[in-house]
Amino acid sequence: MTTYPTTEMPSTDTAVRRTDRLAGPAPRPGIFDELSKREIRRAVLSGIAIPGYQVPFGSREMPVARGWGSGGLQVTLSLVGQDTRLKVIDQGEDAGVNASNLRRLVVGHVGCEEETDTREADVIQSRHRIPEQPLQDGQVLVLQVPGAEPLAGIVKNMDEQRRMHAEADYSKMWVRLYEDIVHNGLITNAAGYPVLVEGRYVMTPSPIPRWDVPKLNHSEGVTVLSAGREKRIFAVPPHTLVEPLTFEDRPFEVERTPGAACRLCGSDDTYIVQEPGPDGTFSTWVCSDTDFCRRRRAGDAPEVTALEAALAHTREESTI
Amino acid sequence: MSTMNAPAASVTSASAPSVPAAPRPDQLTERLGLGIDRVMAESGLWAPQLAARAFGQARGDVTRATQLLRTHRTSLPRLGRSLPVRAGELRVVRRISSAFRNPPGGQVLGRTLDYVGRLLDLLPEEEGRQRAVLASESAHEHHDHHGHEHPGHEHPQHGHEDEVERAPGHVLSVFREMDIVAPPGDHDDPEPYDITRHPARPGVPRSALLQTMARADTGALLYLWYGSEWKPGGQEAHEVPGELRHGFLPIRVEHPHTGRPVTVGDVRVSEVVSFHSLTRASELPRHLDVGYGMCFGHNERKAISMAGADILLGHYEGTERAAGLQHDVLLTLDGLDITGYTEHQKLPHHAEYRSVLERATAAAAHQAGPHRTGPHPGDTA
Repeated sequence: MTTYPTTEMPSTDTAVRRTDRLAGPAPRPGIFDELSKREIRRAVLSGIAIPGYQVPFGSREMPVARGWGSGGLQVTLSLVGQDTRLKVIDQGEDAGVNASNLRRLVVGHVGCEEETDTREADVIQSRHRIPEQPLQDGQVLVLQVPGAEPLAGIVKNMDEQRRMHAEADYSKMWVRLYEDIVHNGLITNAAGYPVLVEGRYVMTPSPIPRWDVPKLNHSEGVTVLSAGREKRIFAVPPHTLVEPLTFEDRPFEVERTPGAACRLCGSDDTYIVQEPGPDGTFSTWVCSDTDFCRRRRAGDAPEVTALEAALAHTREESTI
Repeated sequence: MSTMNAPAASVTSASAPSVPAAPRPDQLTERLGLGIDRVMAESGLWAPQLAARAFGQARGDVTRATQLLRTHRTSLPRLGRSLPVRAGELRVVRRISSAFRNPPGGQVLGRTLDYVGRLLDLLPEEEGRQRAVLASESAHEHHDHHGHEHPGHEHPQHGHEDEVERAPGHVLSVFREMDIVAPPGDHDDPEPYDITRHPARPGVPRSALLQTMARADTGALLYLWYGSEWKPGGQEAHEVPGELRHGFLPIRVEHPHTGRPVTVGDVRVSEVVSFHSLTRASELPRHLDVGYGMCFGHNERKAISMAGADILLGHYEGTERAAGLQHDVLLTLDGLDITGYTEHQKLPHHAEYRSVLERATAAAAHQAGPHRTGPHPGDTA
């Protein structure tokens, strides 16, 4: 039981007891009170109940800028306990500045376990990537979201955006994709490719590369997406249908560069990013997922990546 | 963020770094009071000591200090609400009306940087301060009721105790009696919207708009108002602050046992009521439109901008412009939101960027593809 400064005023004593009951178990000082965490968990549950639907929530101010993962941080802090194994990545890296900072914050606040091995993590907070390792039942992926509204670039009026979602009127989105093909010959949406969740809501998957989009389909894990600045939370529960928006004669394309492979582990079936080669030009490639790359080199990574597994699953579905 | 932005001094100096004495919070409050007031207003939290601390720790960056203060509040449970107070209870330390030469209750100039032409003072700091105090004292000897006092703003010996404190009636109520202001709208908005708990979107009640503006980044709010089509010189007439006040408002809570209101402290606020003569279609310009602005601390620029923007919002309510204006007020004024987006630009984006480059390459390849190489010789198409 928490000890409070004793006082001879009986009324204060009553107030203290009331405070204690209101705020739940003895809070750890700093960052977040328990009532707020509960509010976040409710929003997450609503999001899981209505896959792809953007749940408004009273986003709190975090010790990081609104844009440095304040939304993801609120969800992560609401979910982790002392025995949680937490992995935090940015651009796929555990050692990125944003990832290190957020991990230090959460571990310092909650005292949970730091983890870099995707297989061992209970909660994975990420910015811009989904790990190459297929997620398992029970794992939660928390994605940081800079812009929650996939229709924002199409209609500015928020009432109209909500109407379109409510009536599943996505005709303007389809027209936009069609015009893209007419003008450019292909769909130029790069990262954050819009998806249709369970045949109902169009959702942004956050600015993950298209490489990661198929991994959301029928995932074993839960994906929670949280936008702190825009004050919205949405989610993809396990075994949910997630389809990138495209036309029948325009197959969805992920980023592949023929002949390119990670210079460290040699993989050509992972998402790789360019690095300067010996000649100073961006001529070499490395895995963006540093944990997977390290395990590939150690012979501790699976043959089949999450993307290959997801694509195989989709092919299987389409032949049934 | 604080852990990432540790001062680099210790890295560059070879020997053990000598740390200069940090200014105490009360020194900051005295010398940089307007900056600290701004931090409190943009935080939406009245806490002078904490704000001074935050201001120092943020090295004078108002928005970072605001982030620190708001984040600190997030760490605390919310235990209750204060009772509503009437703005008429405001005990003024400054009160001016641009609309009247001599408004009911009089002009009280109070402590301000206005009215005196100023040059950068190049005297040694201590001497300059001493002279300002002396000048201030001699001015007090000939103190007239129009308060031509405080030629300098550095007079630590003379704080609030010798400033006028009273609660004159509002110009607005005089105007109401004269029936020359637009009657209050028929809004049913008794329970204030809480923007810290419910995200505000266009269509929210006026209380949400006013709260958002009271916490807004001062510069952003100033721009929204000044950049609107009424300024500058967009119309021949512009709105006039009928009232500008700076002073103290009591904070009362309900006693947990007796249920009676108990004053537990006070907050210092700036308040502006602006009037504008506007016409609408099928309406004679008989009534003045009223705009209201209030924020924590001494920030007249913000209160004036807020009152002006409030008139703007009221004027366009129910029109096509309303949603766009409300969108701008609700979603582009919060200092933490808008700078958060700016800060995020500095984070690595290379995983995302590879995807962008890949699409650009693919689009270029498509443009250069066989079907776009132009007509072949002999092609009749």
